Amino acid sequence: MAGVWIFSERYEQLLELLNAGRRLARSMGTKLSAMSQLDPEKAATLFSHGADAVLVLPPLSENPSLDAFIPVIVAEVRKEDPDVFLLSATLRGRELAARIAARLNTGLCGNCIALEIDRDDGALRMERLVYGGAGLQAVTCSSRPAMASIPPGTFEPAPADGEGKGVVRTLPAPPPSAVQIIERKTKTSRGTDIAEARVVIGVGRGFEKEEDLHLAGELAEALGGEIGCTRPISAELHWLPEEVCIGLSGLQVKPDLYVGLGISGQIQHATGIRSSKWICAVNKDENAPIFAVADFGIVGDLYDVIPKLIAALKN
Amino acid sequence: MPEMIACFKWVIDEAYIRRGPEGELDLSSVNYKISEYDRNAIEEAVRLREAHGGSVIPVTVAAPEAAKGVKDALSRGGDRAFFIADEAFHDLEPSQTAAVLAEVIRSRIPHDLILCGEGSGDLYAQQVGPRLAEHLEIPCISFVQKLSIEQGRLIAERKVEEGLEVVAAPLPALVTVLPDINVPRIPGVKDTLAAAKKPFVTVKRDELSGKYEAHLATLLVRATQMERQCERFGTQPEDVARFLESLRKKGAIGQKGG
Repeated sequence: MAGVWIFSERYEQLLELLNAGRRLARSMGTKLSAMSQLDPEKAATLFSHGADAVLVLPPLSENPSLDAFIPVIVAEVRKEDPDVFLLSATLRGRELAARIAARLNTGLCGNCIALEIDRDDGALRMERLVYGGAGLQAVTCSSRPAMASIPPGTFEPAPADGEGKGVVRTLPAPPPSAVQIIERKTKTSRGTDIAEARVVIGVGRGFEKEEDLHLAGELAEALGGEIGCTRPISAELHWLPEEVCIGLSGLQVKPDLYVGLGISGQIQHATGIRSSKWICAVNKDENAPIFAVADFGIVGDLYDVIPKLIAALKN
Repeated sequence: MPEMIACFKWVIDEAYIRRGPEGELDLSSVNYKISEYDRNAIEEAVRLREAHGGSVIPVTVAAPEAAKGVKDALSRGGDRAFFIADEAFHDLEPSQTAAVLAEVIRSRIPHDLILCGEGSGDLYAQQVGPRLAEHLEIPCISFVQKLSIEQGRLIAERKVEEGLEVVAAPLPALVTVLPDINVPRIPGVKDTLAAAKKPFVTVKRDELSGKYEAHLATLLVRATQMERQCERFGTQPEDVARFLESLRKKGAIGQKGG
């Protein structure tokens, strides 16, 4: 049995992958199978979102590491031989995809942002960013299955558009993982807030001291926005938590308005803000690369400009 | 005392990449560097050595030009290095890099812990670490932001969507580390001089038995585009007012502030 397969440990991402997978399955004239960790009842709702077949991983006792399921997933793929296997590029999903690809001895397009079937040769063409986002690479895969991990939010969720029904098949339980989870810590919701925010204020190295961040806070308040930052601010200076770090390896934000303060605009950060509707920047270096990716820039010292912006906004 | 391997990649410094007139990537004036994320991997290995003893062995698979990177890795605290170098190792895909590393590590480098960056600065495919762990059949813990060795096992905090998981795994194991795990030290003159005297082993393609065939074919690579208005404003109050007016016209902010 060939077909397009998807896997995610999260329901929202399953719906996004169903949307991506549905298109591929249609153009390939094949079936779409969804594999998940959901309970069978919830998993059955995937039929109405476009799945032709639904497989569930069995519940394991006490907090298993997701990687415990690798042998079961690999065995199933070997048995059924799908053409394409898409996984969501959540943090767990990225590791899982690479390890599954290694066991299956196949290629994986990691962090794939677009994919389509070539009309002429029927090959799956997959696109991804390279060089911190400066370049775009398109690849095809010559081994089976062609695999891709797709970042959350790349596709809209598949709508429920039918009363699709089917039988949910439960896969056998695997042995426990060598990795044992001792504790789970749930984060504050800040990261989620900024991912969804309509206005995002970005803080960069142009701020001289941690105390000065109140300026960014006041501007955020005046604009009704959330605060994010560049990698040095979180990873090196620890002025803001790592959850609000914007960039290729951090959050990718898509607000209506992004305002970068004292941000030079290295490519990794620029990639994290590229989906913003409008990009503004304040930087005293007129040659800062941020101005090349900004719609509206103010060339000036943020310590001079931010109070003026706040005053004008309050007026 | 733990034997630790830090894998690193010698990559194009993306700050030097330009967009060519036809939308191609202009790589004519680029410099190379140890991928930033891999510097965190080397640094973390060095920190663990400071706490537990043992040794740190930087390893890379690359074209022969990357010899500079091997010296750089040694100046960052490696004790001795493995340089798996061949003209054929230009532009390997992650599956190939992982398979080559696996063959050399399995046959030549005893190890308790392997550290990799979360991804490379050029491809950022985030595959080599997890694939390598699979080849070696050892536990893999990805996106680690805190790491320690306690009573012969690994304790790691890994980042997940909902927050973080504190996990334990037996050694040998492989971890991929996040940039916020540490701030890599910058090698000084002394470190560079010391590195010149440290040993490294060069492994050539014909010493390896694997085939290392590619699975992916690259159809194209081109520069990405960010088409933006690029309007600039000054800092006088009237400039700031015009700036905000532009945003209001675009609907980016409401009539009264945000």
